Amino acid sequence: MFLVAVIVMIGVFGLWIHAMNRAGDDEDDARAERLQNRWIIGGGLVLPLTSMAALLAFGIPAGHSMLPLPPEDGVALDIEVTAHQWHWDVYYPEQGIRLHNELHIPANTPVDIYVTSSDVIHSFWVPRLAGKIDAIPGHTSVLRLEADEPGDYRGQCAEFCGRGHAHMQFRVSAHSKTDFETWQREASRND
Amino acid sequence: MMRGDHPIHLVTGLTLWFAWFLAIYATLSVGCAVAPPPVATGALTWINAAIVLMTVAMVLLLGTLALRCWRGAPQAEEGPRPSRFLARVSAAAYLVAAIAALVVGLPTMALPPCT
Amino acid sequence: MTDSTRTDNPAERLGQVWRNPPGLGALSVVSHSSLGLRFMVTGAFFFLVGGLLAMLIRTQLALPAQTILSAEVYNQFFTMHGTVMMFLFAIPTLEGMAIYLIPKMIGARDLVFPRITSLGYYCYLFGGLIILSSLFLGIAPDSGWFMYTPLSSQQFSPGPGSDFWLVGITFVEISAMAAGIELTVSILRARAPGMSLRHMPLFAWYILATALMIVFGFPPLILASILLELERAAGMPFFDVAGGGDPILWQHLFWLFGHPEVYIIFLPAAGIVSTLIPVFARRPLVGYRWVVLSIITTGFISFGLWVHHMFTVGIPQLAQAFFSMASMVVAVPTAIQTFAWLATLWTGRVTWNLPMLWILGFLIVFVAGGLTGVMLALVPFNWQVHDTHFVVAHLHYVLVGGMFFPLIAGLYYWLPHLSGRMPSERLGKPGFWLTFIGFNATFLLMHLTGLLGMPRRVYTYEAGVGWDWLNLLSSVGSFIMAAGIALIILDVALHFRFGRKAPRNPWQADTLEWATDTPAAPYNFISLPDVQTRHPLWDHPDLPESMAAGKHGLAQANHGRRETYGSDAITGRIRDVIHLPGNSWLPLFASLCLAVVCISLLVRLYPVALLGVLGAAVFLLRWGWENGAHPKAAPVCADEPSQPPLHSRTCDGPGRWGMVVTLLANGTLYLCLLFGWFYLWTASPHWSAPQVSPVSLTVMVLAGLLLTGVVATYYRIVHRLTAGDDAGLGPRLWGLTALGAAHWVVLLYATLSAPLAVTEQSHDAMLLVMLMYLLFHGLVATILTALQAWRVRLGWVNRALPYEPVVLRPFWGYTLGIYWLSVVVFLLVPLTWGGAA
Repeated sequence: MFLVAVIVMIGVFGLWIHAMNRAGDDEDDARAERLQNRWIIGGGLVLPLTSMAALLAFGIPAGHSMLPLPPEDGVALDIEVTAHQWHWDVYYPEQGIRLHNELHIPANTPVDIYVTSSDVIHSFWVPRLAGKIDAIPGHTSVLRLEADEPGDYRGQCAEFCGRGHAHMQFRVSAHSKTDFETWQREASRND
Repeated sequence: MMRGDHPIHLVTGLTLWFAWFLAIYATLSVGCAVAPPPVATGALTWINAAIVLMTVAMVLLLGTLALRCWRGAPQAEEGPRPSRFLARVSAAAYLVAAIAALVVGLPTMALPPCT
Repeated sequence: MTDSTRTDNPAERLGQVWRNPPGLGALSVVSHSSLGLRFMVTGAFFFLVGGLLAMLIRTQLALPAQTILSAEVYNQFFTMHGTVMMFLFAIPTLEGMAIYLIPKMIGARDLVFPRITSLGYYCYLFGGLIILSSLFLGIAPDSGWFMYTPLSSQQFSPGPGSDFWLVGITFVEISAMAAGIELTVSILRARAPGMSLRHMPLFAWYILATALMIVFGFPPLILASILLELERAAGMPFFDVAGGGDPILWQHLFWLFGHPEVYIIFLPAAGIVSTLIPVFARRPLVGYRWVVLSIITTGFISFGLWVHHMFTVGIPQLAQAFFSMASMVVAVPTAIQTFAWLATLWTGRVTWNLPMLWILGFLIVFVAGGLTGVMLALVPFNWQVHDTHFVVAHLHYVLVGGMFFPLIAGLYYWLPHLSGRMPSERLGKPGFWLTFIGFNATFLLMHLTGLLGMPRRVYTYEAGVGWDWLNLLSSVGSFIMAAGIALIILDVALHFRFGRKAPRNPWQADTLEWATDTPAAPYNFISLPDVQTRHPLWDHPDLPESMAAGKHGLAQANHGRRETYGSDAITGRIRDVIHLPGNSWLPLFASLCLAVVCISLLVRLYPVALLGVLGAAVFLLRWGWENGAHPKAAPVCADEPSQPPLHSRTCDGPGRWGMVVTLLANGTLYLCLLFGWFYLWTASPHWSAPQVSPVSLTVMVLAGLLLTGVVATYYRIVHRLTAGDDAGLGPRLWGLTALGAAHWVVLLYATLSAPLAVTEQSHDAMLLVMLMYLLFHGLVATILTALQAWRVRLGWVNRALPYEPVVLRPFWGYTLGIYWLSVVVFLLVPLTWGGAA
């Protein structure tokens, strides 16, 4: 996208500056009109429509693959997250685990985060793992996350929610399968 | 239908487009709220069918209006009324609306409605 | 209306009739040139306020973990920065420019509702000052310029901040609506003789589209603001989940306005570009019809984009796809315009000068912004960068590039017209470069800041996440940009003193505004010419001279009336002579009363607000009273023109068009109310509706039958009147007044007797809003009918003066339409479909 944008920009700017410096034409009206229509149709119609078609051909499948649809094999792990001013409550419904400002997930496994809010609108976002989803009171929305590698990933609130918005971070720790099972056992026992 | 050089034609096409746009969005939203089809059916649902139908109908309507306006344009401007200008620009506006409906409606063929 | 100081010199006589009084009397001025300038100067002032806030924001963000501004203060500052720039700078400045230029470009003496121009200005000024005061009192709104609920609701923003926004902005919006309605009617009905639609300067097409976009685009926000203020002040839960409301409804209503808003800002600026390029390329713009098509297309498609601000809300993928596709389609008409400009430059002989430098800057910055816009339209990408500094960068590129740069180009271009002096390039060029470089330094790498994950609206950030040097760079850039803007201000200020005197039409432009004197007289032109070309000053270079010599139409004003031609909307042929009101204090007084309403709503002193409403009503009704054949307007006299006649003696005139356009705006607001009703019914999480509606269907039908009787009779009366029969007109109108009052009383009974739990259920709250809306219309229509009946008695309405009842007729029709539609939608449909979710 960036590359195409840069090419288009350089093209348009270059043409504009050249056009300004150019001496100008003395064409008869009919020929001039044909020439002008070529500019308008070529630049105004063909260029944007083909660029957008290319963009969408890439984009729509990409977006579709990010949806929380049932995974091909296995089952996604469900986690419920409730946003508050100004912290995150995390709950694993199946295991009964409760956490505060942190999530633990197994790597290479699809995870479905069910997000809602108890007060104002927030937004759940782990930049390195997925797009964001808004936490809206009265509604629950689902975000599909999958970490390719174990590690710690920073998350933050991404919808302005008042005084503490800038300090509403959380952490997502992805573990290998065995490490996650260990963590899960420990966490259930502690609850 | 009014004569092709009535200025209302400048805006009728895109107004119809906007009404269609609201209609398909409403159909989708209300349909998913009251009777969502099972996820497994993908894009082959009654909601998608309804939207595709509305889209095709609108594209055909707008295309027809575009053609009629274009054909009704006089060869040159005669007199104070800018008939050729109005008819040609209106025809183009109908065509634009038709294309915009086609483009916006296209994803309905591939995407499931309610996820 | 004759004056003892008769003179044979048309310029002198016109000067007397169109005189702008000095001193305190300047507050009563209605001339579009004066008011347009006031809008622009006030807009510039608010620009500086918004800019100062931006500098404070950038200072706070320059380094991580700073506490120069606390979170609370920062939140007020960024909210006010956006609010001031969008509502108090961008729209009013462009409005002011249009108000100043349009009459001159279309060959008219003024806009068609000069007192409304004045009212618009005062509402803007007072509303803006009220909102600004909140900043100085430390109680400014702090929920972001789009005021998402529930954050902006009473529970989470208990202070008066949100109220300042909701009440203050709605007050300011009166000025936008006024401009939208007035510019639409003026462009359609007050053009020079012979200026058909295809001869209109492109700038007029741009402003016509913009004005209509305002008419349809602002009402959703007006409704949303009213609903949220009712929620805050009276506990009516439109957006509160527990009471059956939904915060997403706010987002829909806001962005239904918010997206067209940015095109309302862009189109006039594109109009400036389309006006300047042909002049400096010394040839007509390539593709006039393509550009007209693009303007119309942009206007409509921009209304179908609003959900692209809500891609992360959880809406189904297919719905998002609709908006994603539409958001890409909207780039096509802009691309068409860009290449039309390019082709014009290519085939023309271009001069490099200061305005063209700013236009080059516009091209670069705006096209870059447009391209990131297309990226944002792609949903998966949007999910990453939404609510990050990538969006902040994008929006500044399109707004500063798309509006500010063309604005400055236009400023330099039209400066000689305002002041009679040429701008200088010596200060202007460094001003441009500092602004351009500073802007890009601030915002170019900000795209990266967003891509690296920095969210919007954070008052500080931790060190070491990767945002440190980027923020510092942006902050340094902002100071460079500020320096550039300071230079521009200095340049403009100095040129008033030191600029060399400008010759007539110094740029050798083609459009009519350059045929006036510089600075322009309040009446613009001594005589109004026939115009049947897109380039009047190129095709008829001696036109300014012949106009000044009084060789064309309406060259005398011995009757003492302010007059301009009323034209056919399509062909431009003369239909009538529009007589315009002279200076008036009524707009100021009405606006002051509205300011009282505004302030008393803010401090929640409702009896005072009611007094303010009554005061405003008195002044507005007095204003309507001084129309038509009233001695202060155009009393009937022996030597009235008849070919063409005065507009108030006909059955069609600007007032009728203004009424229809106003009803379009009103209807949009009503449709948004219907949308809100259906939305909450189907989508709100805790919607609950009783089996039987609390409002009595029987009583409503009774009131409706009374109303139907009134309106049917009114239509018959007017039909007869326009055919020349005014027998019994007065008594009949009094009879309708009585019947209308009866309808109103029954409707009031239906409202007061309904057991509405408006603070508990959004269902009931909606019903109350609907009933109040119907009551308002019934009351206004009845009062206006009574006034018409009185005017019949005074001899100002009869078969020779049929105009005013004709103007009122659509209002009655509208009142009837919304009445029955409301009965169907709010009472009958729930009966058949079961209102409970």
